[in-house]
Amino acid sequence: MSETDPLLAILADDAPVNLEAEFESSNVKDVLDKLDRELIGLKPVKTRIREIAALLLVDRLRKQFALTSATPTLHMNFTGNPGTGKTTVAMRMAEILHRLGYVREGHLVSVTRDDLVGQYIGHTAPKTKEVIKKAMGGVLFIDEAYYLYKPENERDYGAESIEILLQVMENNRDDLVVILAGYKDRMDKFFHSNPGMRSRVAHHIDFPDYSADELLHIAKLMLAQQNYRFSPDAEKAFFNYISIRMTLEHFANARSVRNALDRARLRQANRLFANASKSLSKTDLMTLEAEDILASRVFVEGKLDMYGDEGSDIIAD
Amino acid sequence: MMTNPNGIVTQGQFSFLPALTDVQITAQIKYALKHGWAIGVEYTDDAHPRNTYWEMFGNPMFDLKDAAGILLEINNCRKTFPNHYIRVTAFSSLRGVESPTMSYIVNRPKKEPGFGLVRQESDGRNIRYTIHSYATDKPEGERY
Amino acid sequence: MSNETMKEGKERYKAGVLPYKKMGYWQPDYVPKDTDILSMFRITPQAGMDPEEVAAAVAGESSTATWTVVWTDRLTACELYRAKAYRCELVPNTGPGTKTEAQYFAYIAYDLDLFEGGSIANLTASIIGNVFGMKAVKALRLEDMRIPVAYLKTFQGPATGVIVERERLDKFGRPLLGATTKPKLGLSGRNYGRVVYEALKGGLDFVKDDENINSQPFMHWRDRFLYCMEAVNKASAATGEVKGHYLNVTAGTMEEMYKRAEFAKSLGSVIIMIDLVIGYTAIQSMALWARQNDMILHLHRAGNSTYSRQKNHGMNFRVICKWMRMAGVDHIHAGTVVGKLEGDPMMIRGFYDTLLDTHTPQQLEKGLFFEQDWASLNKCLPVASGGIHAGQMHQLLTYLGDDVVLQFGGGTIGHPQGIQAGAVANRVALEAMVLARNEGRDIWNEGPQILLDAAKWCGPLRAAIDTWKDISFNYESTDTADFVPVATGSR
Repeated sequence: MSETDPLLAILADDAPVNLEAEFESSNVKDVLDKLDRELIGLKPVKTRIREIAALLLVDRLRKQFALTSATPTLHMNFTGNPGTGKTTVAMRMAEILHRLGYVREGHLVSVTRDDLVGQYIGHTAPKTKEVIKKAMGGVLFIDEAYYLYKPENERDYGAESIEILLQVMENNRDDLVVILAGYKDRMDKFFHSNPGMRSRVAHHIDFPDYSADELLHIAKLMLAQQNYRFSPDAEKAFFNYISIRMTLEHFANARSVRNALDRARLRQANRLFANASKSLSKTDLMTLEAEDILASRVFVEGKLDMYGDEGSDIIAD
Repeated sequence: MMTNPNGIVTQGQFSFLPALTDVQITAQIKYALKHGWAIGVEYTDDAHPRNTYWEMFGNPMFDLKDAAGILLEINNCRKTFPNHYIRVTAFSSLRGVESPTMSYIVNRPKKEPGFGLVRQESDGRNIRYTIHSYATDKPEGERY
Repeated sequence: MSNETMKEGKERYKAGVLPYKKMGYWQPDYVPKDTDILSMFRITPQAGMDPEEVAAAVAGESSTATWTVVWTDRLTACELYRAKAYRCELVPNTGPGTKTEAQYFAYIAYDLDLFEGGSIANLTASIIGNVFGMKAVKALRLEDMRIPVAYLKTFQGPATGVIVERERLDKFGRPLLGATTKPKLGLSGRNYGRVVYEALKGGLDFVKDDENINSQPFMHWRDRFLYCMEAVNKASAATGEVKGHYLNVTAGTMEEMYKRAEFAKSLGSVIIMIDLVIGYTAIQSMALWARQNDMILHLHRAGNSTYSRQKNHGMNFRVICKWMRMAGVDHIHAGTVVGKLEGDPMMIRGFYDTLLDTHTPQQLEKGLFFEQDWASLNKCLPVASGGIHAGQMHQLLTYLGDDVVLQFGGGTIGHPQGIQAGAVANRVALEAMVLARNEGRDIWNEGPQILLDAAKWCGPLRAAIDTWKDISFNYESTDTADFVPVATGSR
């Protein structure tokens, strides 16, 4: 077992290094390409990821000339509304960090407050430590991180969890990278009240909402994966649907699209069943028609039901 | 002071080698993780050869991917019990094993008092033997 | 019967002599049942004999047949009781065009009802009882057996087993270390115990009586037991480890063996020892006693080479391994690969697998002809003993793995700086090698360097390497595989 990192063999001042070759050999490009394929749009996010990858790559080269020695702070903050791809990007980020050698294993452990904070005195520290140990060698993704901090309750155990996280984020930078995530405004408030946390997060990435065009594109990709497709009319109807849905409450971008499509598939099945006497073709089984979309409560009543749904009851009639 | 060639308790896999460094311990932990074994950290102030149940420093750790988390616990245990025996034990859940698969000491008292042999003469030339920990002459918690 | 070669009814049972094949002992279409006991023999037929007829003769003589037809067969479900030779094939590299006369592998299936449960004696009385003297075969060797789960379940199996042995000894993740007290004969009890104490205090886990140390004029058994247990307990106190000495309880009668075993128990020994020559029934009895008395049972394979060594006659040691695991011993000497006693690496691995696996797949290159499910019988710990020393540690660990007792008798007691130093050298070599192996180093190639590095801070190891560095026993094995593994693309 070698005690020294091979990267620490310091190069001569005039030794040439090739950034391109370094990029190729790290295989980071595969991950970036995968990200491009997986996620529609998100231009600013992808640009930021590229920038971070480039920074880390250059940092690695600088290490070879002993221009840097310490592990850079890599903890990140992903802000944006639900369904904007934060978890997926975090997964790819773990992979990139792994390929560049900044984390040893490259796995993602995704948690929320409930996984970190206990309900009784003395429960929180073991819980948080358990999660941290599982995440070591990889990335710890804390969704809706601001729930850790409840200023209205002085005796809340969240503060204890934050305390432990802060220590690990400082002392175990070689062992794990923490990504905090949540709504932008609430994360801002969280950092405002927890300056220690703010100072340990190096990269802030904002995930914008998708445009209606992008969401339609996403919908079509999702359908294709399940061997469905829109009829031309259905596609128009779905675009209209999205445009209205975006203005309503509980809108969750790609997640809302997925829910809407699930419902449309139910209605399609119901429609096909109602006309059971007719023999069906493969095309019939694959195609969502405009009526499967237009029956949504979003069109009928311009609002959601109490669960934030578009009305599952409607398919029954 | 113990009189065996090492002058220390020689339980575990690596007691005849110089004390393991953290880098060496990490490599052994990786070996265990590679086999999917859970890893426990245990400590005691009485290393009697038949003292099977050392105190657990928390439950054995399952499902960890990386050695750093376990090393963290080892070092926490060392900080809490700097003058105790601490051992790392790996557990396999494989059918036909379901038992420890590794065990090595990672911390010791500065002075190891060792054990005395108590002989009780009985019928004829028969002798009953008892191994006595000198450490247990003092109450629990005040031994090292 | 669908088989044309077999005669039926009146014709079959007409008084007189009939070829075994025609009596129903050759059934090439037979599909063995899961509950059948299967045997594989290596047959060297007499010149001019039909190998299938010889296979049938072996099947016949090891089950129901005699030299002539008897009508009393018809009072029994004789078709069930007949053993069936169902396969017979030329052994690779024998016969015309080779230096060896033709040999055949004959596979024979025996119905479970032919055997008494829980009795190795009964099993062996059939399988190897009469057949080895038959004139029809020039030579005969029992190569392997498949014992069905149903039959295994009638045996206790190893009294303690590897897992519980390790838990009792509190020793995990490395081979155990032992030594046999030398000289084998002549030491007084007091002097004998000195060797035990020095070796255990120096770092060995076990010391062992030799196979022929029982109760001779120079040292009666009670003296040996008393002095050895003084040594064991003193060494245990000095190191904080559980230590043991295999007290050999082999004696002329069961009564005497039980007496010696009880005495060993009363002195607090964790382990006793018996020799293979006491016989299968005595071994099974001692295994029952050992389980009842929390005792590890060590078996020395004394005598086995009289019938296991020749490739064409006798029986393969792997069969002994199977029987002894069933009979219930916890340790058995099974070869060293690199030491002074016989052993081809793959063959020895086959013995080790037989003793340690919960399920053994068929592996011809290791001489394992049958798949064997061990039905949760405990594992039996192989012992490597005879002409091994610390300088071979990387080879021993690579070939034999963690579950083995490495016995360095001469390699401990013959150390130039004394017995304790000899034990230290062996233990340091072992721990350094296990540590390096776990760290992912290539110990097969780096082994000598790993030992030299450890010898820099360990004087006794340095002395051991200097003393024995050139010692090896490179004789050709007589028991080698008939099948050589062929490299395939996937490996």
